[in-house]
Amino acid sequence: MGRSIPYHCTMPEGETQQVRDTRLIIGMEVHVELATRTKMFTRTPNLAHPEYYDSDPNTLVDPVVAALPGTLPVMNQRAVEMSMMVGLALNCTISSFSKWDRKNYYYPDLPKGYQISQYDLPLCINGAIEIPGSEGGNRRIGIIRAHLEEDTGKLGHELPGGATYDGSLVDLNRAGTPLLEIVTEPDFDNADDVVTFCHELRSICRFLGVTEGVMQRGHMRFEPNINVVIRTEDGQEHRTPVVEIKNLNSFRAVRGAIEHERDRQVQQWLADGRVMGPGAKSTRGWDDQKLVTVLQREKEDAHDYRYFPEPDLVPVVVEQEWTDQVRDSLPELPLQRRRRYESELGLSAKDALAIVDDRSFCMFFEEATSEAASSDAFSSIAQAAVSCSKLLLNAVAKRLNELQVGIDELGITPAQLGQLAVLRQSDSIGPQSVDRMLQLMQETDLAAEEIAREHDMLIVMDKGAMDQWIQEAIDANPQAADDVRSGKMAAIGRLVGHVMKASGGSANAKEVNRMLQARLRN
Amino acid sequence: MNQVPGCRQVRDEVMSGRTTCAHVAKNAIDIIRTVDESLGCYHEVFDTEVLETAEALDRQVADGKDPGPLCGVPIAIKDNIATRSGRTTCSSRMLQEYRSPYDATVIRRLKDAGALLVGKTNCDEFAMGSSTEHCAWGPTRNPWDTDRVPGGSSGGSAAAVAAGTCSGALGSDTGGSIRQPASFCGCVGLKPTYGRVSRFGLVAFGSSLDQVGPFARNTEDAAMLLEVISGYDPNDSTSADVVVDPFSENLDRPIENLRIGVPVQMMSDRNDPGVNARIEEAIDVYRSMGATITSVDLPLTDYGISTYYVIAPAEASSNLARYDGIRYGHRCTQQPGETLEDLYSRSRSEGFGDEVQRRIMLGTYVLSSGYYDAYYKRALQVRRLIKEEFDRAFNECDILLGPTSPMPAFGIGDDMDPLQMYLCDVYTVNTNISGHCGISLQAGFTDSGNGLLPVGLHLQAPPFQEHRLLRAARMFESATAHHEAVPENSPG
Repeated sequence: MGRSIPYHCTMPEGETQQVRDTRLIIGMEVHVELATRTKMFTRTPNLAHPEYYDSDPNTLVDPVVAALPGTLPVMNQRAVEMSMMVGLALNCTISSFSKWDRKNYYYPDLPKGYQISQYDLPLCINGAIEIPGSEGGNRRIGIIRAHLEEDTGKLGHELPGGATYDGSLVDLNRAGTPLLEIVTEPDFDNADDVVTFCHELRSICRFLGVTEGVMQRGHMRFEPNINVVIRTEDGQEHRTPVVEIKNLNSFRAVRGAIEHERDRQVQQWLADGRVMGPGAKSTRGWDDQKLVTVLQREKEDAHDYRYFPEPDLVPVVVEQEWTDQVRDSLPELPLQRRRRYESELGLSAKDALAIVDDRSFCMFFEEATSEAASSDAFSSIAQAAVSCSKLLLNAVAKRLNELQVGIDELGITPAQLGQLAVLRQSDSIGPQSVDRMLQLMQETDLAAEEIAREHDMLIVMDKGAMDQWIQEAIDANPQAADDVRSGKMAAIGRLVGHVMKASGGSANAKEVNRMLQARLRN
Repeated sequence: MNQVPGCRQVRDEVMSGRTTCAHVAKNAIDIIRTVDESLGCYHEVFDTEVLETAEALDRQVADGKDPGPLCGVPIAIKDNIATRSGRTTCSSRMLQEYRSPYDATVIRRLKDAGALLVGKTNCDEFAMGSSTEHCAWGPTRNPWDTDRVPGGSSGGSAAAVAAGTCSGALGSDTGGSIRQPASFCGCVGLKPTYGRVSRFGLVAFGSSLDQVGPFARNTEDAAMLLEVISGYDPNDSTSADVVVDPFSENLDRPIENLRIGVPVQMMSDRNDPGVNARIEEAIDVYRSMGATITSVDLPLTDYGISTYYVIAPAEASSNLARYDGIRYGHRCTQQPGETLEDLYSRSRSEGFGDEVQRRIMLGTYVLSSGYYDAYYKRALQVRRLIKEEFDRAFNECDILLGPTSPMPAFGIGDDMDPLQMYLCDVYTVNTNISGHCGISLQAGFTDSGNGLLPVGLHLQAPPFQEHRLLRAARMFESATAHHEAVPENSPG
């Protein structure tokens, strides 16, 4: 996507050039903390597993995590399997042979003085996914690799409770959390597509159940590699040096950093004329307050990580059979699911997106729909789906929002919701009963119809009672009855209201209306 | 002559009621008290704990139970193996006060077998050295001549066994650190096949080369110890899931038609003449027992030392990075204004001795970008070729035979430059590089001009052929009386 910026620039040779347009080139590195029960190389619980999110500092530490003398790593098979799931979802090839390497550097949050990672033979290679492009159509994003490694601990300057500490405190809870690093081809040219990709990746990971993807907890961290191709009026192209932005943990930061870099790099080029080349890559961070990127490291003082094969671990050998098993166990992925909801179930694009956004919500929707569709009240699955989606996205979503809980914590079963949709579809309860029904369903596991009956919300189809209420309504409102008889249909509301009141709200208003008309107009 | 009896003897006497574990333990501690002041084998002796354990074992025996194959057997442990008891210092100021919260797998296995852990023995710092002089708290002395070194790096364990302060001991062997001191001290030392014994709890030096192994006064005892410590360990991914033969059974059955290969590279005329004479005699012994002796050429083994001194320091530089003064171990007193880098640099300069620092620098250098291919990658390629050379040799012969060390024990403080020191391992490093197993046996003496010094016979066997190795060793032992010799510095 070109973008014209009317810059004047002075070329290194001294002649003045006009920037005709600029084009961004962005490749992404995404770190995903896998929610295995135990850490990558030891049996101690993993901070990224929901049960251990709020563990006190340094409580998820054992001799291996603290790198005590004599300890050895043992690979977590489940982490490899989760990585394979993500790899397969991104259409990667799973390497039949990959290995571990040590990345050596000193930092207080890195207990062993090296990080176990995969350097030249990663687990997943050569994939791609399609995302909806910001300019319409689909956009293919190439995946170079996805490799497994272990996360580091954390440095802090705050005591538990919030008091500041004059010095650094090391918390090793996160040390050893399995970390999947996904690296894309530099296939992006705008921030919108990057954000779409990040969203999509998070959604995929959540559907696969490999992470809860809570951004505030750092479950996913994004690192864009950005440079700009500047075309000057003379038709020449100039590529600015690549900048890597470290550790972004919100979509807003991803967008902000990319947009800031686009302008900054052009300004920088205008100032110094430096272009891409060996040793010209630098690392920057994102200042969330000032909304600017800040230089962290020039390539000149880049680390020499002294990678070498990890002698304490054996290579990872993945038989085809294992890959097949994992592939067969993959659930339908969010993008495919959205397309299916739109094309087969007739959901609007907006509703489909909203339902697929959260895995539990989506699963709930599917179960509720299948329950509803098993009733004769719906003529098709699509009809049931639309009905369930409306209930979920309106009444249920409102309730979740008020209570600040997830769908799994609400206390309503998908079956109950499906039954509720059936009751509405068959006009067995009125629209005014929906909220009350949801509230009652939260408190009991009884089937929706039983709840409705128990609380007198079932619309009565008892002909005798209905006839009597209608007669009473006509007798009590002779004027209104006359008006209806003479064609002033507006007056019928008064009669319907009377019947509804007499029935305690259990009559079907539409039916009452129909019966009143039949009585008065013939 | 008062010596702690060997493993087999202790076990038999305890189980038959002729003695008690408590008696064995007390005796061992008395002997250690008598001799260790002059030898310096031990960093720490677990006197109270040993007695308590011994009494508990005695109660079990009295109840008619069998507490295990090493019931009541006093064992010394090299101080680079993690034990809950006492400290695990690696003879380094860095770990002067370090206490391990867990037992190494080999320690757990010894305890489960009813062994008595008598104490932790001196070694070269982080197992780097061939003399047990590079230690934070002084050298260990050779029981045959206290002016000489016991070899290293497991010199404390070797001397402790040779001096009769324990029935057996554990050491670790990265390039010869069990076999060379066994040779210098005149006892048996065995380096198992890589993967045979768990490394979990062995403080890492060169992870792809390190193995824990036994010291003993005869092959049968070595076999008993090896049997207990061997086997797959889920805590060590590189430990092998290979059946552990009952090494101590059928030990006395000679191997028929034994084919022995003698590498020409090992019978160098630069060896001490007494060493070569003893090895020639050993060859004659085997020949007289019906073995066929052939000369084999292993030209690539000449590159063993160079290969080793790239791979081992490279791994060590990374393995020792964890000693940063942050979580445990020595930390310098920080001065105002000092940076994190100063903290690392000073803590490590103060905590590590010269030899350790030398190897960290070597290892860091060979892994550096721009040098990796020329050194580390090349060394790995040579390593593979050396292994293939041994594989071919073992197709032709069952056992390789030669001297363990080109010379007998040298003097404490002899001004050896590091390179000379590295050459002590010239005949042993290749076993670690290739990953198979080897043993050093007492093969007689050489005259130092100032008394007799032990000479070690080095036998090597293919991967996981420890039983063959031990049986071949037992053949030599049964035909000679060398292993019965006891140093004068032994008490009694």
